[in-house]
Amino acid sequence: MTRNTFVSELDTLKQEVKELGKKVENTFRAVVKAMDTDNRAELEDLIDADEEVNKAELAINEQAVLVIARQQPVAGDLRHIIVCLKISSDLERMGDLSVDMAKAYLHMASPGMFHRKREELLSIADKVRLMIGRVMKAYDTLDVLQAQDIAGMDDDIDRAYGVLVKELLQSRESTEDAAQLAFISRFMERIGDYCTNIAEWIIYEVNGSRFDLN
Amino acid sequence: MTSLLKKEAQPKNRPEEEHEPAKEAVFRTEGLNLWYGKKQALFSVDLEQKEKEVTAVIGPSGCGKSTYIKALNRMVEMNPEVKITGRISYRGEDIHSRRFPVEELRTRVGMVFQKPNPFPKSVFENVAYGPKIHGIRDKKLLEEIVEESLRGAAIWDEVKDRLQENAFGLSGGQQQRLCIARCLAVEPDVILMDEPTSALDPKSTLKVEDLVRELKDKYSIMIVTHNMQQAARISDRTAFFLNGEVVECDNTDKIFSTPADKRTEDYITGRFG
Repeated sequence: MTRNTFVSELDTLKQEVKELGKKVENTFRAVVKAMDTDNRAELEDLIDADEEVNKAELAINEQAVLVIARQQPVAGDLRHIIVCLKISSDLERMGDLSVDMAKAYLHMASPGMFHRKREELLSIADKVRLMIGRVMKAYDTLDVLQAQDIAGMDDDIDRAYGVLVKELLQSRESTEDAAQLAFISRFMERIGDYCTNIAEWIIYEVNGSRFDLN
Repeated sequence: MTSLLKKEAQPKNRPEEEHEPAKEAVFRTEGLNLWYGKKQALFSVDLEQKEKEVTAVIGPSGCGKSTYIKALNRMVEMNPEVKITGRISYRGEDIHSRRFPVEELRTRVGMVFQKPNPFPKSVFENVAYGPKIHGIRDKKLLEEIVEESLRGAAIWDEVKDRLQENAFGLSGGQQQRLCIARCLAVEPDVILMDEPTSALDPKSTLKVEDLVRELKDKYSIMIVTHNMQQAARISDRTAFFLNGEVVECDNTDKIFSTPADKRTEDYITGRFG
């Protein structure tokens, strides 16, 4: 095997994307927990911490540009780098959506309605968290079958989201809080969509073709 | 370029293959085996050079790529140890047929080498040499051919005031383009290039690459290169040779994005070779 430097640069890049994935998963988990415990100070901190995710994504972009310029990769190597860029961009958006969830919660007048819909919300949150973990694991091992399964999980989330939003719209309680909860569940559903995007990029990295899982 | 030399009778059209709006094969190699003495250098090579396309031939040293293109103009046979089986056809005609004189083949198939090899003569004489051998004596016509060929090789502006100077006074990049002009002067149909830029600096390399892209409108070009980025930049199709065999030949975009064979991927990504 030649090009050891190049190979280690590719590994480093992927390592950084995986770490970004961990960060985003942790943020999501922390936002859900802070909402559940009505810990507003923690939510504020999490909103501020999003800057780190943005910086990590930028660092990955810069590193990828340098590797492309220096090594002029082709074929599988080029896809490896393109997929690092694509996944880090999707992860960054997922980070933004977690922040949006925190902001929506902070706009709510009281935690009452969250608690009345707690079971449904946490059930969606659990599915989303599981999906993030699984898709990043599939990325780690470039497991195409696992990546294809992710799409099925997204369908579950979409269904649960549809039911919850319907209930919220029919709710006679505070319209403002119902709207914020609808936003929160919408943001979770969007994170699921980004996980599906990541799954599609995994398939692209392995097979060289785009596959629409949505 | 206008037709200044006698044209061959137009080749017979081959029956159209099914699914084809595809271009005609100028060269077609079928089951080509080649030995240098006892050592086999090419193994059952099947390959086509399509009309007005650039085919890049890539592969590690000693894989048979230079041998292959030198087989196409029968230059490889100058080595008395060489033995060939299989068939090479140029526009449908077997190049080893007695009815196909090798001189005629080499008029239709020009070659540019790794190191520029101008004759120790003036710039003008270098280009006029071929047409003169073909019996053109008219001075005005020769001047016309020389200018057109030098323009075709994108070097006219650089040498138009130095036509009588010795070609050795030109830079390496200019000498190589002069050699291309010399090749164009006899109006070939195909141009074979054997690592034409490996002795040139990056700027001259890019000039020759630009030139190859321009020449493709009029000529069919096969280029052996060690520079994979060059193959990716200038060719329509790429053939990957390994140990005397063609591992894969496909559209260049495909080869450099999603090659079908793992060995191709490993080679173009620099894992070996």
